[in-house]
Amino acid sequence: MDTEARRGLLLISPTALYAVALLAMPLAAVLAISFATQDFLTIDWTPTLANYAEATGEPLYRQLLLRSVLIAGAVTLVTVLLAFPVAYYVSFYVAPSRKSLWLFLITIPFWTSYLIRVFLWKVILGFNGVFNTSLQGLGIVEEPLSFLLYNANAVVITLAHAFAPFAILPIFVSLERIDRSLLEAARDLGETYLTTFFRVTLPLAMPGVTAAVLIVFIPTIGDYVTPRLVGGPDGLMIANMIQTQFLRLNNAPLGATLAVLSMLTVGLISIAFVLLTRRWGRTQ
Amino acid sequence: MSIVSLRNIEKYYGEYHALRDVSVDIAQGEFFSLLGPSGCGKTTLLRTIAGFEDVTSGEVAIAGQEMAGVPANRRPTNMVFQSYAIFPHLSVAKNVAFGLRRRADIPKQSRATLVEDALNMVGLDGYGARRAHALSGGQRQRVALARALILKPKVLLLDEPLSALDKKMREQMQSELRRLQRHVGITFILVTHDQEEALTMSDRIAVMFEGRIAQMGSPEALYRRPETRAVAEFIGMMTFLEGRAASGTVEVEGLGRAEIAAPEGAVAVGVRPETLTLLAPGETAARETAGTVADRAYYGDMTYYDIALPGTDTRLTVSMKNRLSRAVLEPGTEVRLGWEPDALLVYAT
Amino acid sequence: MTLRAYVIAYLLFLYAPIALLPLFAFNDSTIIAFPLDAFTTRWFAELWTVEALHAALWNSLLIAVVSTVLATLLGLAAARAAAKYRFPGKRGLMGMIMLPLILPEIIVAVSLLVVVIQVLGWPLSRWTIVAAHTLICIPFSIAILNGAFQNLDASLEEAAVDLGENRWSAFRLVTVPLIAPGIVASLLVGFTISLDEFIIAFFLSGAEPTLPVYIWGLLRFPARLPVVMALGTLLVLASILLLVLAEIMRRRGVARAGLKDKGGFL
Repeated sequence: MDTEARRGLLLISPTALYAVALLAMPLAAVLAISFATQDFLTIDWTPTLANYAEATGEPLYRQLLLRSVLIAGAVTLVTVLLAFPVAYYVSFYVAPSRKSLWLFLITIPFWTSYLIRVFLWKVILGFNGVFNTSLQGLGIVEEPLSFLLYNANAVVITLAHAFAPFAILPIFVSLERIDRSLLEAARDLGETYLTTFFRVTLPLAMPGVTAAVLIVFIPTIGDYVTPRLVGGPDGLMIANMIQTQFLRLNNAPLGATLAVLSMLTVGLISIAFVLLTRRWGRTQ
Repeated sequence: MSIVSLRNIEKYYGEYHALRDVSVDIAQGEFFSLLGPSGCGKTTLLRTIAGFEDVTSGEVAIAGQEMAGVPANRRPTNMVFQSYAIFPHLSVAKNVAFGLRRRADIPKQSRATLVEDALNMVGLDGYGARRAHALSGGQRQRVALARALILKPKVLLLDEPLSALDKKMREQMQSELRRLQRHVGITFILVTHDQEEALTMSDRIAVMFEGRIAQMGSPEALYRRPETRAVAEFIGMMTFLEGRAASGTVEVEGLGRAEIAAPEGAVAVGVRPETLTLLAPGETAARETAGTVADRAYYGDMTYYDIALPGTDTRLTVSMKNRLSRAVLEPGTEVRLGWEPDALLVYAT
Repeated sequence: MTLRAYVIAYLLFLYAPIALLPLFAFNDSTIIAFPLDAFTTRWFAELWTVEALHAALWNSLLIAVVSTVLATLLGLAAARAAAKYRFPGKRGLMGMIMLPLILPEIIVAVSLLVVVIQVLGWPLSRWTIVAAHTLICIPFSIAILNGAFQNLDASLEEAAVDLGENRWSAFRLVTVPLIAPGIVASLLVGFTISLDEFIIAFFLSGAEPTLPVYIWGLLRFPARLPVVMALGTLLVLASILLLVLAEIMRRRGVARAGLKDKGGFL
């Protein structure tokens, strides 16, 4: 190994070791404990598939996992669709000197207290909430709308808000990388604005869209605050059950199993998605 | 005695063989250039001398001292980087004074004067207080030169120092670098891919291809007698005609027979554009051949003609100095060419 | 122009929750709904009297400072290694280090909980949270510092070495001043993340709750909600302040390197 490689490895080793000790090994421990059983406070490490049988056999868990995937999918779709025009606007219509100010404006709400933000959506969407009173005040509806809070819709709206910058930034970055003369070339070759967008801009922005999808979809599965605060009984997700197993029912092995299964599901869906977009990219 | 002596340098990056058996002796006070296309190893060789790259095997000696194990900061060399590497957070004066910090042999009180002198030398007097990133490309380069020369290195290494400048500025800096080098008397080693730059500035040039020195010599020797076809193609303009050598003569397609000793068989015959003469009506030459102007490129002082010759598809390029009394020839004009066997370069194929 | 209208509507959507916060914080009613009542500052006054809140805030600040400094140091090493050197396994190692950026936080929380409780049998404390927050702040630190390193001409450090400095003094004299704004931005962003992080802290906090864990407890008591609104208002102000500072630092870094501004961090 040459000097450069040795120096590089030496320099990265503290951080890498930290990640091994506090990420890789703990993840391995989760995998290990998912094959164990717990009797009150003692763990029986004899490997068994009992947790997996329970987690896949029990309809409640299956339903929670399915719902989590559906909600996460809906959140991803809504977030990315809402975010794309914003990223497009900042990249193509904002003067270069003001772009960083716009990005800053977009990221600020994301950095402000997460819990309180989620709670405020409850205030906005509630039966007597800001949204309903405004609608009533404007005479648009007679009765408050009740489908806004304590269901999956509320979870989708709240999470679409929470993950907005995560969707906007990668799309913005990939749009920025597009050589503007390519778009002029497409126009020069006879495409309209609209066909240029679909034949040139969108395919070139796909890496950013893919990144946005993954960066929204994967963490969404793990949120338990939003479902708890605004989801109601029909909006609870798998993370709520994981939390319950660990912190209320003292069944760490089953909680770990649910965590492993949800990561597996998310991982497989993500890989399938990446492969599909790649194939789509190649057929273009 | 040579100031820089490289002996059988080999350098590998993993599987990649970057330098192959390079041996060079560079004399004190010489302006030496490493010339070659990108990726030929010239910059690697320069960085080997500076101490930024280790050699896989071979010896680097500077001023008679073996440099193995001596890090870059302890070598008596200084470098002008391709990007100039001017510290953007420091003023011009602090950039120039940067290397003095570690020089115990230079008294603190004389430093300000040294900096001023160095800036004077490169024509930047009065620029000391400026912020570095407010400078133009040419000014940055002068700062880089002052910053290196103030330390009075035994060797100054210049890595493509002119490539970031526009054409006018580049030509001006070429002569200035040459003047500066004569003035300070320090050995300069220049890396460049621009053959014109190497020819105009250097005392001696090493042409490098694929990690190897293909030929080394004075600009004139390299231009007049390139030893291989690759060197001939890289330096200056040249047309190659097919030929056949047998018993002390070479039959050159399009030109005719020339008495040149060459190994028997197929050969490539190189012709420089300026060794040919376009004969005016009535003018004659010892060797003549007839052709037709196929194309021309007008350069103001010169015109380059592509001449179609009978019996070959190769167009022979001829240069003519333009004169007021002579009209530029139109394509299609029938012409006669005068040529000399001595000016032909014959390479086995 | 429809695009512009849409973007403005989107910004309204983004800012709606924080815009409401001060309205309820200064509203003299325990019910968080319209119409608003009289103006009051008593919820802010109440903040000063709650001992448990002060303890939680102090705990959070301590955790944020320690994990931010750790994350920035570790991030600095990794970002420099990634920017400057080629070495085997680089992609894999960087991938592992950056993984917390997309890993659901509950997975990080659960995995550390399993290790601390089930494997090691240690009690939970603020240090378990520090360990976790360091882990999740490192990728942000690397992302910010990567930008700083990428703006840096690699030959600057070589030039310093060429002029007689050793590798460490070249780093100190040339690189550190040029990436200092990035380091400060990394500290500020890490601090903001740690201060606001709830999902992991809820799993890993022992007897001493962090501020978000304490707020979570308050959210169950309707009578305490106006106090939460007041606290939230202050937190939002603090975050915005920190972020504006971080952004100013980042821009100064860009200006110092003599480059054109190309966008924010992240």
